[in-house]
Amino acid sequence: MSHDQTIPDRRALSRRLSRINDAEVSAAIGGLADNTGEIASERENGTTVRIGITGSPGTGKSTLIAQLAKHRLTRGVRIGVLAIDPSSPITKGSLLGDRIRMDEVANHPGIFIRSLPSRNAHDGLSDNTADLLHAMAAHRFDEVMLETVGVGQADYAVKTLVDTVVLVMMPGSGDAIQAMKAGILETADIYVVNKSDMPGAEQSASEVESILALRLREEGRWRPLVIKTRQNDPEGIAALSEAIDRHLAWSRQRIDPLTIQRRRTRYHLQSLINRRVEEIIEGAEPALFDAPLPEIFQDMVRALAETLP
Amino acid sequence: MIAKPGLDGHDVGAKVIALALRDAGADVIYTGLRKSPEHIARVAVDEDVHAVGLSLLSGAHNDLVPETIACLRDQDAADIKVFVGGTIPASDRQALRDAGVCAIFTAEMKLADMVQRIEQELG
Repeated sequence: MSHDQTIPDRRALSRRLSRINDAEVSAAIGGLADNTGEIASERENGTTVRIGITGSPGTGKSTLIAQLAKHRLTRGVRIGVLAIDPSSPITKGSLLGDRIRMDEVANHPGIFIRSLPSRNAHDGLSDNTADLLHAMAAHRFDEVMLETVGVGQADYAVKTLVDTVVLVMMPGSGDAIQAMKAGILETADIYVVNKSDMPGAEQSASEVESILALRLREEGRWRPLVIKTRQNDPEGIAALSEAIDRHLAWSRQRIDPLTIQRRRTRYHLQSLINRRVEEIIEGAEPALFDAPLPEIFQDMVRALAETLP
Repeated sequence: MIAKPGLDGHDVGAKVIALALRDAGADVIYTGLRKSPEHIARVAVDEDVHAVGLSLLSGAHNDLVPETIACLRDQDAADIKVFVGGTIPASDRQALRDAGVCAIFTAEMKLADMVQRIEQELG
């Protein structure tokens, strides 16, 4: 996209993102109905790149994102960062502390950083992440980096919504490596062994590489890259950035945009329905649950139908 | 949002209130130490916060607080409420209120009372 790097209308964008993140399902659907034109045009011009950064807490995702963004800003692009942190299931509150690590880059006019509580979402994202990404595209960001609530795996949800998934690990990430060996871990596109100045970094990187090499390589599948990074390491960051570009270019050539669109719409639909069911159950009279289950199911279906604005 | 403008390096109090607000159900952004008023205002806008809590133990509140309020105004965010906490002598408090501070909290106050007051102010 060729435009001025300085992001305009920050207050308006910020308010819009709040409205979207806080929207209950009915409001979310209403918003989508209002924005079909915008979404359609995004599909046609669709060049907002989505990069997902996932990984366990403490692996240094936020600092890495800041370094990566700083590097990529030199191209003159507009970058958005959405950093999701978990909401307490009990108090519903959250401490959103990712952006502290991004101060170095936060004042650049071409970057917009927003922290988001996960609210009711259980998949590492926030309630209305799909809509948030559409809003960022509509605001003409060239790239959006989505930092998820890491549980040590490249979660299915983030994999669906973004173009490239980066999994950040620390040396000695025993559990992540075990999960990979057992075949449980969804494949990320790029694996980063961060804090690679720590002991065991070489070993961790080799372990990951050998697991990936052992995987039966299907024709035409992307072969994940392993990158080592650490503090004060511009080469590592440049290598990561280049790996991301390589994957993006590969995807553009090999993956049908229609397939991606359909996958995303499917996820979006499922997440809206699941959330609506939760909303209904949470607001239901206790007596509802005394009836026979088939009857409760019918009530639920009726309540779902009434969701539409 | 809880912020510490200027050169003040003691953040235990700020962290305590941040956690208390989270436990009361708020989404709290903690911006860390040594931030300029412009930076604080910019973050407040981008994060679309309802309120900013400025924590100051350095004695620099008479300058930094009005400066921060002015920066918020410049960024079209005069509606964001400002609370101040820390070592604020009684003689300075009226001036802060005149500058637009919503409430002032000092160390003798109970945490629960502070949280309650903030909840009240934000409706």
